[in-house]
Amino acid sequence: MVSRGERTAFLGIDWSVVLIYLAMVTLGLVNIYAAVYNESTTGFFDLSQRSGVQLIWIGVSFFIGISVLLIDDKYYHILAYPLYWLSILALLGMFVFGKEVNGAKAWYEIGPIRIQPVEFVKFTASLALARAMSSYSFNVHDLKSLFTIISLLFLPAIIIILQNDTGSALVYGAFAFMLFREGFNGWVYIAVFLLIALFIFSFLIEPLPLTIMLFAACLLAEGFVNGRWKSKAIYAAAVALVTALIYFGGKFADVDISLNISLLVSIALSLALVVIYSYRQRIVNVWLFIAMFIGSVGFTYTVDYVFDNVMQIHQQKRILDLLGLEKDLKGWGYNVNQSKIAIGSGGLTGKGYLQGTQTKYDFVPEQSTDFIFCTVGEEWGFVGSALVVILFSVLILKLISMGERQEEAFGRIYCYCVASVFFFHFIVNVGMTIGLMPVIGIPLPFFSYGGSSMLAFTLLLFVAVKLDSSRKSHISRV
Amino acid sequence: MNSRALVLKIFVILVAVIILARLFHLQILDDRYKIFANNNVLRHEVQYPPRGEVYDRNGEFLIQSRETYDLMVVPRDTKGLDTALLCQVLGIDMEIFHREYKKAENYSQRRPSVLFKQLPKETKLKFDEFNFPGFYTQYRTVRSYPRKIAGNLLGYVGEVNQKNIEADPYYRSGDYIGVSGIESAYEKYLRGEKGVKIQLVDVHGIPKGSYADGMYDSLAVPGASIVCTIDSRLQALAEELLEGKVGSVVAIEPATGEILVMASSPTYDPDKLVGRQLGNNYAELLRDPYRPLINRAVQSWYPPGSTFKLVNALISLQEGTNSASDSYPCNHGYPYGRGVKCHGHHSPVNLTAALQTSCNAYFCYTFRNLVDNSKYGSVKDGFDVWYDYVESFGFGRKLDSDFRSEINGTLPTRERYDRIYRGSWSSMTILSLAIGQGEIGATPLQVANLVATVANRGYYYIPHVVKSIEGRDSIDNRFYERHYSKVEKKHFDVVANAMWKAVNEWGTATGAFVKGWDVCGKTGTAQNPQGNDHSTFACFAPLDDPKIAISVYIENGGFGATIAVPLAKLLLEQYLTGEVQSQDVYDRVRGININYSKAYGQ
Repeated sequence: MVSRGERTAFLGIDWSVVLIYLAMVTLGLVNIYAAVYNESTTGFFDLSQRSGVQLIWIGVSFFIGISVLLIDDKYYHILAYPLYWLSILALLGMFVFGKEVNGAKAWYEIGPIRIQPVEFVKFTASLALARAMSSYSFNVHDLKSLFTIISLLFLPAIIIILQNDTGSALVYGAFAFMLFREGFNGWVYIAVFLLIALFIFSFLIEPLPLTIMLFAACLLAEGFVNGRWKSKAIYAAAVALVTALIYFGGKFADVDISLNISLLVSIALSLALVVIYSYRQRIVNVWLFIAMFIGSVGFTYTVDYVFDNVMQIHQQKRILDLLGLEKDLKGWGYNVNQSKIAIGSGGLTGKGYLQGTQTKYDFVPEQSTDFIFCTVGEEWGFVGSALVVILFSVLILKLISMGERQEEAFGRIYCYCVASVFFFHFIVNVGMTIGLMPVIGIPLPFFSYGGSSMLAFTLLLFVAVKLDSSRKSHISRV
Repeated sequence: MNSRALVLKIFVILVAVIILARLFHLQILDDRYKIFANNNVLRHEVQYPPRGEVYDRNGEFLIQSRETYDLMVVPRDTKGLDTALLCQVLGIDMEIFHREYKKAENYSQRRPSVLFKQLPKETKLKFDEFNFPGFYTQYRTVRSYPRKIAGNLLGYVGEVNQKNIEADPYYRSGDYIGVSGIESAYEKYLRGEKGVKIQLVDVHGIPKGSYADGMYDSLAVPGASIVCTIDSRLQALAEELLEGKVGSVVAIEPATGEILVMASSPTYDPDKLVGRQLGNNYAELLRDPYRPLINRAVQSWYPPGSTFKLVNALISLQEGTNSASDSYPCNHGYPYGRGVKCHGHHSPVNLTAALQTSCNAYFCYTFRNLVDNSKYGSVKDGFDVWYDYVESFGFGRKLDSDFRSEINGTLPTRERYDRIYRGSWSSMTILSLAIGQGEIGATPLQVANLVATVANRGYYYIPHVVKSIEGRDSIDNRFYERHYSKVEKKHFDVVANAMWKAVNEWGTATGAFVKGWDVCGKTGTAQNPQGNDHSTFACFAPLDDPKIAISVYIENGGFGATIAVPLAKLLLEQYLTGEVQSQDVYDRVRGININYSKAYGQ
């Protein structure tokens, strides 16, 4: 006899999501076993091996997941802030009680169990964001409202950065995904994409051609808006002439002026004239393009400065390695190179379960945690790795759909938060193993070894499933 | 649906497609990663085969393969090494150890390198009692020479050089290869085939088992052993008798062309060119003014001197420009032109007597009769006829024996004389050829081959040093072919009988007499502008069904009869009767030490 409470608890659950979850967890366990497998491994249930420990955590996660489904959904709304502050407190507590592993103070050690609060803050932050953004007074275009969100996100991010775990802090940038859905200004996203492109170009392209390209791009953009191509041509010719004059003048006067500087000086001089001209002609939108040009040139020099003076050496190296500007296969590039070798050697169908030589003989570092995807790629080949990619994509799409069918803002925002977190972890982790992303040490949800992340991702997902199942449309049908 | 939700969904799908495309490229399109993965995980361990051993014709060891071990090291894996203990076990100075270890580290941290070569087996056994992380031994063989003879003939084994590696992809740096002598000529058989064991190693370079259950492994195939034609006792005697002299002895079994003795003096202890001292010893031998590394039997040519009169006699008989019974006077020489001196003997002499007494004048007459004969039209055409005959005996060209380093010797051509004498020369100009002097030069092997041809009455087999190769039915086909000279058998009988008389009745070669064995011989005293005459002797025995043909050549040894003849006699005794009979002759020859200070600039 099933009680009424239990029946309603499991009613309306999107079983396809649960199925994806179970598939991922199982695949994860199987691959962790392969990653730690060697001659002395006795089996899945060997508790001295990571696969055995992970199995226990999976058991705990199942229990938590079912519990989540049993708790009334209104409590997530109520508990959002308390849980958030509790988790912030736990983060802060690490300055005092935290155990340092690999240079990051990220662990609580209670007997044999290690807990990583960072993982749970993603969950509580999602709840808190959903709560804050679903309140009636919230308006995404309102500065005060935006300040609230930014505070909620920056507080944990800053603490985490102070604990020397920059990778985990970057997750809070991922909520931009959710913010876009909630109506955040689209131009900001376009600007960010352009800035990323400019960031990459500033490494790949020499200063002179970059300046020329930026100048040409702004000039052309302005031309498309305002026309008057003839005057544009005269203007460009005049700038080129002045540049040449400055450059060769410098040579003549025995002053060393580079061609790039000559061009920049020439453009700067011309801009003064352009400002006056456009003001007289009453085509003030020209000023926008002037600002664009100055902004982007300024950005490229800022990038250089930040790169050289703010970033740590390993961060610099990871970026240079990713952009293919510096090869150091024994040093900075070792992990990614070995990771690519493991995945690339998998071929179409892989080397077979437990047959991955790169995995088995420890060529891939951190293979049961951050680089678990290598084991998938090597032993299951393209077929296996494509399956994992598809599972993640479907899960994320599913979460978006779940968010969209929520009647209340809280549920929608929460679902999008979960989608953001999963999407970020997926892109960054998989991207890193195949050399599309810089090395950032964050886990692949449900695959990487680790109890805290297993629990936290289960919580994240199952609260979304619970919110989805308790929509009014379901309840009313009962 | 919300339009922004749609944008986000498309974005997610776009990202997934990019990742899938990248995976497709890495895993399916780009094959390099499979190779990189194999480079990571596979270690090809070479299994060296033992090198084939070499026996003499009676089954005695000439070269043995001794088992040794190279000490290998993978520097990355040597953590916690007790250096002092290892050095003690190896019996190596710490300083040297550190120097070698540094080299290995500089080469590679991960890949194994050879730290010390050719450690004896005892050291390896002691090494095996301990566990030195990162160190292991690798089986190799080195040569040892139980009889310490025939160094130049056997050759030596050294490490391959860049040229060897480029010429034959079989060789890898650190492999051994036969550098000279038989080791080089029969390298292909002696070396065997290296095997390979492919092992899986983990990131620390620790072996984790064989790859694919050993499917791609191969066992080393031991090198084939070789039976040499050399008679080691005779060879040892020849080397002993040559001590204190510079020169060489070649003995051939006429019926087969098998080389029984190939001794070159001075020689060296072949064990010197083995192992770690090879480099130093080689350099030392190279500096020796007597050039012990030259195998004089095949790598030096000399004027053949009077032994060459055999050839001229045969040609005259074949061409009919003289008959055996023609006689010529000799009064201490040939009186025409600048003249050719001769020693005092009775006069006139016919062919047989001329060979017996080695009369120079006789051969000047017959040589001119031949070359100047009107039936050829001109002197130069006559010379060409002579040239073809001489060439058919194997002079002026390599005999194509199994010695890579064999040289041609010299045989002057008509063109060469035209160049020297600007086209105007006559039989008088080239008269030295009548007595084996002048522009002709022959290796001791070529002279030995000449006597073998006389012994066979007209043909020779290409002289060779290898009798059989393990696992093969026969040696190269060319060693089974008879090579006929252009002279008929009946003329050889005349010459052979004259040689018999020179030893057994009267003449210059009586010193070579061995009772009951019908020795036939021809002495030679080759003039030499650098110093004293060379002493030479060419002989075979017995007259009928000859068993051995010998050529002895002693630089600056004076008359043929003084050294070369008694030396040959002792060899004949040893070979035909099984022991040296004439102890007095033995003592005398052993006692001769020639002073070479003038010829070799000491």
